[in-house]
Amino acid sequence: MGRPGFVLEVDERTPPLLVHAGEGFGVQRFPLGTKVIYPPDSLPGIRDVNAAIQDALLHPIASDPLPELLHPGMRLTIAFDDISLPLPPMQTPDIRGRVIEHVLELAARAGVDDVRLIVANSLHRRMTPAEIKRAVGERVFRSFYPDALTNHDAEDSANLIHLGVTEQGEDVEINRRAAESDLLVYANINLVAMDGGHKSVPVGLGSYRSLRHHHNVHTMLNSRSYMDPREGHSAIHDSCTRMGRLLSGHLRIFTIETTLNNDTFPSPFEFMNKREWEWSFKDQASYLAAKRANERAPGRMRREVFRRVAAPYGVTGVTAGDTETVHQRTLATLHRQQLTEVNGQSDILVVGLPYICPYNVNSIMNPILVQCLGLGYLFNMYVNKPVVRPGGVMILHHPVPWEFHQVHHPSYIDFFDEVLAETTDPAAIEAKYEAQYAQDPWYVHLYRNSYAYHGVHPFYMWYWGAHAMEYLRDVIFVGADRKAVGRMGFRTASTFADALEMASETVGRSPSVTYLHTPPLTLAEVR
Amino acid sequence: MIALELYRSATRYAAARIVGDRVPGLVAGPLAPLRLVNREEPAVPATGWARVQPRLSGICGSDLATLSGRASFYFSPLVSMPFVPGHEVVGDLYDDLEDLPAGTRVVLEPVLSCAARGLEPCPSCASGQTGRCDRITVGHVAPGLQTGYCADTGGGWGRMLVAHRSQLVPVPDSMTDTRAVLVEPLACAIHAVRRARIEPGASVLVVGAGTVGLLTTLALREHSAAGEVLVVAKHARQREWARLFGASDVVAAGDAVTELRRATHAYRLRPERGSAYLLGGVDTSFDCVGSRASLDLALRTTQAGGRVVLAGMPAPGADLSPVWFRELELFGAYTAGVELTDDGPVPTFDLAIDLAAEAPLEGMVGATYPLARWREALDHAFGAGRLGTVKVAFDPRED
Amino acid sequence: MRGRSLADDVREVARGWRWTRRPLTPRSAEAWAPRPEPREFPTDWARTRVAKATREAVLSYGFRPVIHVETEMAVDGLDHLDGVRTPVMFVANHASHMDTPLILCALPKAWRERTAVAAAADYFFDVWWRAASTALAFNTFPIERTGGARATDTARRLVGEGWSLVVYPEGTRSRDGWVGRFRHGAARLALEFGIPVVPIALRGTFAAMPRGRSWPVKGRLPVSVRFGPALQAEPGEDFRSFSRRIQQAMGRLWDEDATDWFRSLRHQAEGTTPSLAGPPAPRWRRMWESSRPLPRRGPERVWPR
Repeated sequence: MGRPGFVLEVDERTPPLLVHAGEGFGVQRFPLGTKVIYPPDSLPGIRDVNAAIQDALLHPIASDPLPELLHPGMRLTIAFDDISLPLPPMQTPDIRGRVIEHVLELAARAGVDDVRLIVANSLHRRMTPAEIKRAVGERVFRSFYPDALTNHDAEDSANLIHLGVTEQGEDVEINRRAAESDLLVYANINLVAMDGGHKSVPVGLGSYRSLRHHHNVHTMLNSRSYMDPREGHSAIHDSCTRMGRLLSGHLRIFTIETTLNNDTFPSPFEFMNKREWEWSFKDQASYLAAKRANERAPGRMRREVFRRVAAPYGVTGVTAGDTETVHQRTLATLHRQQLTEVNGQSDILVVGLPYICPYNVNSIMNPILVQCLGLGYLFNMYVNKPVVRPGGVMILHHPVPWEFHQVHHPSYIDFFDEVLAETTDPAAIEAKYEAQYAQDPWYVHLYRNSYAYHGVHPFYMWYWGAHAMEYLRDVIFVGADRKAVGRMGFRTASTFADALEMASETVGRSPSVTYLHTPPLTLAEVR
Repeated sequence: MIALELYRSATRYAAARIVGDRVPGLVAGPLAPLRLVNREEPAVPATGWARVQPRLSGICGSDLATLSGRASFYFSPLVSMPFVPGHEVVGDLYDDLEDLPAGTRVVLEPVLSCAARGLEPCPSCASGQTGRCDRITVGHVAPGLQTGYCADTGGGWGRMLVAHRSQLVPVPDSMTDTRAVLVEPLACAIHAVRRARIEPGASVLVVGAGTVGLLTTLALREHSAAGEVLVVAKHARQREWARLFGASDVVAAGDAVTELRRATHAYRLRPERGSAYLLGGVDTSFDCVGSRASLDLALRTTQAGGRVVLAGMPAPGADLSPVWFRELELFGAYTAGVELTDDGPVPTFDLAIDLAAEAPLEGMVGATYPLARWREALDHAFGAGRLGTVKVAFDPRED
Repeated sequence: MRGRSLADDVREVARGWRWTRRPLTPRSAEAWAPRPEPREFPTDWARTRVAKATREAVLSYGFRPVIHVETEMAVDGLDHLDGVRTPVMFVANHASHMDTPLILCALPKAWRERTAVAAAADYFFDVWWRAASTALAFNTFPIERTGGARATDTARRLVGEGWSLVVYPEGTRSRDGWVGRFRHGAARLALEFGIPVVPIALRGTFAAMPRGRSWPVKGRLPVSVRFGPALQAEPGEDFRSFSRRIQQAMGRLWDEDATDWFRSLRHQAEGTTPSLAGPPAPRWRRMWESSRPLPRRGPERVWPR
């Protein structure tokens, strides 16, 4: 049986601990007394995933079994999570593909002819054919691509439909085909607690007009945290829930949610999944070898090596049926894998940022994404209250190279050069620039026809960190590009010791330090 | 009975002596003259003896010295091989013994003195100073200065030992095992402090902040009116402990002479060879490490006419010049006995139990191991200071 | 973390993970430390073809000559092995480190090649070099003296693969040459595996090489290995009574070796078979008795040395 997550207190017996830093990693000694949050041991994956999917579809929660919802002549749409999940991409077969195959199997048996598959990529870049093929599997791809298997286009007004306004005045506009189907099946991967539930359809298949109601500075400041989607805790989820409930009056949604375990790193990086003092000699050797090889390799090759990492994830749960009920159960499974109880807040939160975030799969992690991963995702990996105290300091390990993917992130480049050069205040940025970027025809064109993120996407990335920026007194990047970090309004230290030294200005000479040991993913339940 | 047995092995002894200091991992591993064996339970040698099941048994500095071949050959006739080490013991009495019913939790006063050996008390024993017993090689059991060095009695690093009624001191129910296992070293520390006859307000130096040094510091505060107590400590956690136990100041080993000079307003001289020393210095010092360097430090920083107490098993080779030139009183303090207090003579162990009950000893036993993991335990004990642990103990009941 | 030399990295790992020392668990992680699995020393390699050949060489050219030079070895009762259903469990008394090589050398080659010896895990498999050398020389496998569920896993597997076992039911070498407490483990295993038990009486080994010696005493003392007829558990027999029967068979065998076959049978019938536990006498007399060299067999020397 796997062990629960726990908080280590660094003592003299503790070996140096693994810290990720972009496309590099290393071990780092922490001050005595540092608290280190470890996730629970990876749960055993379901042995017969196909049987689990079958069972979920035939015995859904708070819904009729899927076969009873399928009948000849109906319009069936299947939407699924895009390239941003899971991280790193899982070894094939991808769970989305498996789920979709089972759904299609039933649809074929029921005589359904009109089937469409839509990537719920929202304002993310379109998925390339190869990426789609990897996600859905060769069979599905060959049967449907390119006519009946497409990316969602949030700027194709002909294919969007405005379904109404929530009681709070939020526009609900989603993909027309999905909205007008007799049944919308949504296949998700719930990697973190933010995903899934009503965030799937209203966001994944929504438009800018709809998204701006919850992807904004105000909701982000009131989502504490957005990894805690319980009602009243996360404004963004509350908004999505309102939209989702409105949607359910218009169309029938059959949600299939899946959860993964914490087997994040394949051989030879398995040591990254383990607690350091349990590293065998082999783990130590592979750490040394991997680190040396990685440092020796030219940057391009290093990126290529990491890009090829596919996680040997096990599937821990497949649940289907009514969106809200399913999501409750999904979150419970997810918490079992990720939740660790932490006692009290600390003055300093330390994180090591890995090489990947949801928006740079097969791409480059630019400084804005680094910010989003650190101050957005990892800072928000809490329930109840942040790991760090109000006015505390966050220390992040990442080189933050001044690098952008020219195809994927064109609006990011301009955002970084133009907007951040002027101000880093999210609210000011939102007021002055968001609309300009969102409606810029060039970005819209690239989003629709190339593989670019939507013009407004860098703004969202910046809003994602708004809560942390407001909450923290100081943000220090270790070993980073001084200019890139400075542009974002943060500070740089050359070593971790220097960073602690700099932090002492804010939190004193003997601060309490917590290191969020992730990946594998951990959600801290702070008491 | 499962027990750890120390046996005679000339090759291991030699090897451990040569490499022991440099690679203690080898002493805790393949070079240890120690083995886990299935021994015959020790037999009760005479009336007045009974079996005791150890609950916890500490690993003492002298045990490590014996294992790594650093102990003097002086002791070789005072032990009988093969023996089960372990003399810091808290255990359960297995048989009824005189006034103590079976099951009584006891700590062991390890000296195998005249009473235990069934002899007429020698002059030392008659005066209560059993530690100075002259008859530790004869009588009912094989030679052995203490339980834990005697082939016949078993020791704490085994599942059973035999002990004489005179060696057993019941512990109050309220005292935890991890405190009780510290009673023996604490008694030694009290004995050392009492023997030093410290004047009120005198400045005291404690060299070393392992178990002996820390407990000596504690005893200094409880059993003397010492003024300044300066402790030489190497590691961060040791410094914290020393302060907790009442050290006025903690100095690092490297610049101890400099810091002591400042603290005592002495003159500091640097000889052409060897380390610096003080003219002036502390009134009394305790060598609680037992290395050449530690004794040298104590001798070189004690003022003329002062006292230097050997509280740990000493190593040979220290420069005795200051003893002559500064007219130092150099004397040892070995194990426990009786102490003259205002209420008359009191056994040191009684004082130790009282002190162990109230002192902030929580967390001093930093790790316990089952006998089967003895290599890890010894390795841990060898590196205890650096690993932030004070005392490592065996729990022989565990599998 | 970056931009350092390989040596720095290796030094950091070596220090952090205490190379040459033993790994430690941080104190706060101790509660979550997985219980150290009683890791069994792997001995399967000792039953590969190469190891077998090596063992045969070690026994034939190492131990056998030494035994023959340093002792006068007599082997009897091998005829009892004919037609026995294999695998079997050899059960012998244990008084000397010499016992195992003696039994292995006494067995015919075909048997020897399919026989493994149970050795105390806590002693023989404590350190790798002792484990490896005994496994190679005697085909030992670890068995826990203290019992427990996993104690006999390897034995079970070996029997399943058709290996005969040598088991010393006393669990340790005798202190005074007589048979100590006879544990039921051997009988229990034989019963569980449903295999026959072949009793062996070893006499003279205590005199020839007692506890504490690592070489036979001078004087070429006689030692004797006597095999008895195989015993099979009766249907429904419990391990205690089976164990008693094994003990009796060994007693008779010992008696047979000391006197003669017929007399041992008579003694058995009369119930006067001498106890394996030795005379109920003070320790010195027991020692005296058991350390007495066996009478020499065979013709007296014709001319003096």
